Amino acid sequence: MTSATIKLDCVTKTFDGKVVAVDAVTLDIRAGEFFSLLGPSGCGKTTSLRMIAGFEMPDSGRVHVGGQDITDVPVHRRDMGMVFQSYALFPHRTVAENVAFGLRMRDVPRPEIAKRVAAALAQVALTGLEERRPGQLSGGQQQRVALARALVIEPRVLLCDEPLGALDRKLRQQMQFELKELQQRLGVTLVFVTHDQEEALAMSDRIAVMNKGRVEQVGAPTEIYERPRTRFVADFIGEINLLDDGPCPGALRPEKIRLVPVADARLEGTVETANFLGGATLYRVAAGGRTYLARETHSGERSPRAAGDAVGLAWNDTDVVPLES
Amino acid sequence: MPAVVSRRPSPIAWLIAPALLLFILFFVLPFAVMVAMSFFSSNPIGNPHAVVTTRHYQRFIEDNAGIFHDALWETLRIGLVTTVASLLIGYPLAHWMARMQSRLGHALALMAVITPLLTGIVVRTFAWMTILQDKGVINTTLISWGLIHKPLPLMYNEFGTVVALVHIYVPFMVLTLIGVIGRIDERFEQAARSLGAGRLRAFAEVTLPLSLPGILAGSLLVFALSISAYVTPSLMGGTNVLTLPMLIAQQVGTSFNPGFAGALGVILLAVSLVIVVAYNRILTRLSGEQGLA
Ligand SMILES: Nc1ncnc2c1ncn2[C@@H]1O[C@H](COP(=O)(O)OP(=O)(O)O)[C@@H](O)[C@H]1O
Ligand SMILES: [Mg+2]
Repeated sequence: MTSATIKLDCVTKTFDGKVVAVDAVTLDIRAGEFFSLLGPSGCGKTTSLRMIAGFEMPDSGRVHVGGQDITDVPVHRRDMGMVFQSYALFPHRTVAENVAFGLRMRDVPRPEIAKRVAAALAQVALTGLEERRPGQLSGGQQQRVALARALVIEPRVLLCDEPLGALDRKLRQQMQFELKELQQRLGVTLVFVTHDQEEALAMSDRIAVMNKGRVEQVGAPTEIYERPRTRFVADFIGEINLLDDGPCPGALRPEKIRLVPVADARLEGTVETANFLGGATLYRVAAGGRTYLARETHSGERSPRAAGDAVGLAWNDTDVVPLES
Repeated sequence: MPAVVSRRPSPIAWLIAPALLLFILFFVLPFAVMVAMSFFSSNPIGNPHAVVTTRHYQRFIEDNAGIFHDALWETLRIGLVTTVASLLIGYPLAHWMARMQSRLGHALALMAVITPLLTGIVVRTFAWMTILQDKGVINTTLISWGLIHKPLPLMYNEFGTVVALVHIYVPFMVLTLIGVIGRIDERFEQAARSLGAGRLRAFAEVTLPLSLPGILAGSLLVFALSISAYVTPSLMGGTNVLTLPMLIAQQVGTSFNPGFAGALGVILLAVSLVIVVAYNRILTRLSGEQGLA
C-alpha cells in the first residue's frame, strides 16, 4: 500500500461567519505516520479532519496530499479511507456489501471484489460474518467492519474520527493495539482524532495538541509529555503541578516529586488525600499555601501515608519544565 | 398487596376505551353496514321483502350502461398519477427540508407546507378553478399576450383534477417523508462519498433505499386519499370525469340505491387493497435485493 504525506498550509475555517473552528492551522504529516489530533471537545479536530477528507472547504489556506494541492478536489476523488465516529455503516447492507461498496464505486470486476472483500475481512478477523447486517454486530465488530471498508480501497491516507470512543475500556485497549499494528503492517498514513490523551500518547508517532482552533504543539508523545511548551498542553496531558510563583512559570509532573522525610524536604506539607491507583498512589499534599500532586510508584516495599500525615516534598530543578507565558 | 393490584385491569385499558369505542362506532360499524347492504336487494329494516342477493355485484361486472368499469379505471388512474406526482414533488421538498441547517428556515418551510391544510378542500379547489378555467388566470393571460387564441383545456378533465388533488395531498407526502429522511444519519451519505460515490450516486445508494419506508407510507396515504376524493373530482372534472366516489354519491343521493353504492364501495376497497399489497411487495423487494452488483 502506498502512503502519502499530508500538508495543511495555514488552513482556516469559520462557521456562520463567527465561530472560528480552525484558526490558521499548519501541519506537516509524514508518509506512513500515525498522527493524532488531540484536544478538548470543540477545539476543531473534527473540522480539520473533514477538511482533509473534503467534506468542508477551508475559507483560506491549502490542503496538500502526496505533494499535490487537493483543496478543490471533490470528496469522492480523494481516495482516502474514513472511519466515522459512529462508524456510519450502511444499515441496509450486509457486512460484505458494506466492505464491497468502495470497490463497486471503482468498477472493480466482481470476482476481484469478492477476493478483496474476503481478504479485508480476514485482516480484521471478521471472516464468517459476511452476511450479517451492521445491527447484528457488537460495537467492536462494527468498528472492524468500518476499518475494513475504509482500507479495502487501499487508500493513501486513513482518517479516523474518535473511532474508539464508543467502546468500553477493555475493548478500547485491545482495538488500540490492533489499529496500531494494522497501521504499521500496511504502512498507511493515519490521521487519528481523539480527546483522550492516554490514547493519543499510547498510539501515536506524533501528536498535534489543539486548543480553540489552533495547534499548540506538535511532537512525539514523550516530547509532548515531558516537555510541554505551553500551559495548556502541560495541563491537558496527564496530571501536572503548575508552578506560577517565581520569575518564569514552569510545570512539574507528579512523578517527579519525591515524598521524603521532613528533614530532607524542600517543602513541608500534610497529605490531603491518597488515591490508590493500583501500580501507584497519587497524593494531594497541602504545602506552602497550595496543593501539590505527587505520584509514588509501588516498586519494592510500600510506605503508605494516610490523610493528615506530615510529609516532605523534594524535586530536582532540572525536572521543572519552563512554559511559554 | 401486589397480587391484589395485579388482578385489577390495567389503567391503560381504560385509556384506550374511548378510542376503541370511536373506532367501532365510526369505522367498523359503518363498514359492516356497507358490506351487509351490498348483499341485500333493498334495506332489510324498512322493507320486509328484502332478500339476500349478489345482483349488485353482477350489475357492476356486466356493466350494461358501459360506465362502471370506466369509472373504476378512471379512479385508479387519477389515484396513481396523483400519487406519483406528489412523490416527485414531495420527495425533493422533504429532502431539502429535512437536511436544512437553519432552524428558522426549517420552521418557515414547515409552515408553508402546513398552512394550506388549514384552508378547506373546497376553498383550495375553487382557487384552482379561478386559475385553470377557460376564463381563468392562465388562459386569459396567454390569450391577452396573443400566445393562444382558444383557451387551453386546463380543467373539467383529468388534468385539472390531478393538479388540484396533487396540491391538496402533497403536504401529506412531505410530512410523512420529512420524518423518515430526517432520521437518516447524514454520515451514511458522507461515508458513501468518501468511498468514491458522487453526490447523486451516494443519494441513490444510501439515502433513497433507507427512505423507502417513508415513500411507501406517503404513497399509500396519498393514494388512499385521492381514490376516495369526492369534492375535487366533482368540481374540477365537471361532467367529463366520473370516479367511483362520485358514482357512489349518485347512487345514494339521486338513485336511492344504497345496496349498489355499498357494492361499489366494497369493490373500490378490494381493488385498492390489491394494488397496495402489490406496491408494498415491489418496494420491499427493491430495497431487499440490492446486492453486490
Ligand atoms: N457544521 C457546523 N456548523 C456550525 N458550527 C460548527 C459546525 N461544525 C463544527 N462547528 C463548531 O466548530 C467548532 C469546532 O468543532 P469540531 O471541529 O467538531 O470540534 P471537535 O471535533 O474538536 O470537538 C465548535 O465550536 C463547533 O461548535
Ligand atoms: Mg469531533
